[in-house]
Amino acid sequence: MLKILSRLLSLASLAACLFSSILYFLAKLQVGDFKLIFLVASVSWFVFAGLWSKGGKKSLSVN
Amino acid sequence: MVGRIASIASRMDRLYEFDREPVSANKLQSGWKFAGLFAGEHVAATEFVIGAFFVLHGVTAKDLLLGLAVGNLLAVLSWTFVCAPIATRTRLTLYWYLRKIAGPGLTFIYNIANAVLYCILAGAMIAVSATAVGLAFKVKTPALDAVWPNSVGWVILTLAIGSLFVVLAILGFEKLSRFAQICSPWIFTVFIAGAIAVLPRLGVRPNLRNFWEIATTKIWNGVPLSGQDRFGIGQIIFFAWFCNLAMHIGLSDLALFRYAKKWTYGFFSAFGMYPGHMLAWICSGVMVAAVGREMNPGLMAYEALGMAGVAGVLFAGWTTANPTLYRAGLALQTITPNWPRWKVTLVAGLGTTILSSFPVFFLKLLDYVAIYGLVLMPIGAVVFAEHWLFPLFKLEQYRAEKLDRPFHWPALVVWVGTLAISFFLPVHLFFRWLPGYLIALLSYTALSALRRK
Repeated sequence: MLKILSRLLSLASLAACLFSSILYFLAKLQVGDFKLIFLVASVSWFVFAGLWSKGGKKSLSVN
Repeated sequence: MVGRIASIASRMDRLYEFDREPVSANKLQSGWKFAGLFAGEHVAATEFVIGAFFVLHGVTAKDLLLGLAVGNLLAVLSWTFVCAPIATRTRLTLYWYLRKIAGPGLTFIYNIANAVLYCILAGAMIAVSATAVGLAFKVKTPALDAVWPNSVGWVILTLAIGSLFVVLAILGFEKLSRFAQICSPWIFTVFIAGAIAVLPRLGVRPNLRNFWEIATTKIWNGVPLSGQDRFGIGQIIFFAWFCNLAMHIGLSDLALFRYAKKWTYGFFSAFGMYPGHMLAWICSGVMVAAVGREMNPGLMAYEALGMAGVAGVLFAGWTTANPTLYRAGLALQTITPNWPRWKVTLVAGLGTTILSSFPVFFLKLLDYVAIYGLVLMPIGAVVFAEHWLFPLFKLEQYRAEKLDRPFHWPALVVWVGTLAISFFLPVHLFFRWLPGYLIALLSYTALSALRRK
């Protein structure tokens, strides 16, 4: 359950990063607000993506 | 001499022992795994520099879009039709396959060349990260024509960041690899969001109606920066194609595709080339135009996204320098008997850190990428010829292995000879690898046929 929630929240964080830049481009956000939202959403991505990836499968050995 | 080579070969074999056997059927991976791997691996710190340099070299918007579309397609086709078929037939890494073909001595030289090239690349990534951290300390990024460090501040900064990266790499490659996996979708977002965020500054209106006009007049306007030669569509096509030359034509990615169920999985490399390279290069081009064409990845990202942008450049450098340091360390471990991994990483890392303070490596990154691919390309040609052309011409394969020779001299002669000829070819550096590759293919096959007679 925690993993599913982390997954959803991490994807939402990434979406927030992207949409904040679109809203800024459309002049719906001030520059300061946009950069703050982007920063908070970024931190949120790392927290939830970290929880989501815990216990995940190892990647291919390419070395 | 022979005893010394045998000792080195034995040490080298022990290092790569874990992947000595061909990959078994139960370890083969799904195609989507390859898609994810390519998508994650091809958005790195260097993308901030490459796309920006296209703008500085005066590429036009049409040349850029068409050139990137064609060049990346050629790269995908190279993975699919050159690298993946050999990988799925042999199920071996390049290390073990080259050992059969060229002997352990030449494989050793290849490893060392690879390690040195990896160190320089990791050094460039550290320098890119330094441009981001330097903003906080007001350290000026070196000018475009700089070869030597421009200030004590720059030296201290690169040495400090490089040392930090090395210490973290020593503390745990695996944890950092995990962190890199988490980072890559976000770094990709940093590129896209950064480009979108600077569009108003360039004068693009929210309805996007003047986007093409701005793109052709303010971003890719066909006017190179003073001192930079002008790039046409040919340079863009070839750059996009050879950017990962060592991986596809050079066959380093045998290590990856030996896990593929079918050779057609090579097409999944498109996930790294189009959403990765192509889009990231376009985005960094937009960002550099917004900061008045100043080659400063840290400033580009900071102006676009604030502190998150700075973190993006820093993390992009860190997460891509980490596996590069790992690979360099692994290659160098062959000449440092009984050294633990941390010690080898420390030495490789110190060398890399010192190199990173020389701005020439990141300011001449496009040329360096060309040279990197060019140096390793003849080995890819040798392996390709031995694998496909030798059976066609009924030439005996794997003579080095059968005769237990440390060096297969034709391979060494072709490698050195091809590089010497390529050096003197009267064409732009970006175009030299292709005739060089054909020369290597033909000369290795001809030399082997002559030796048989």
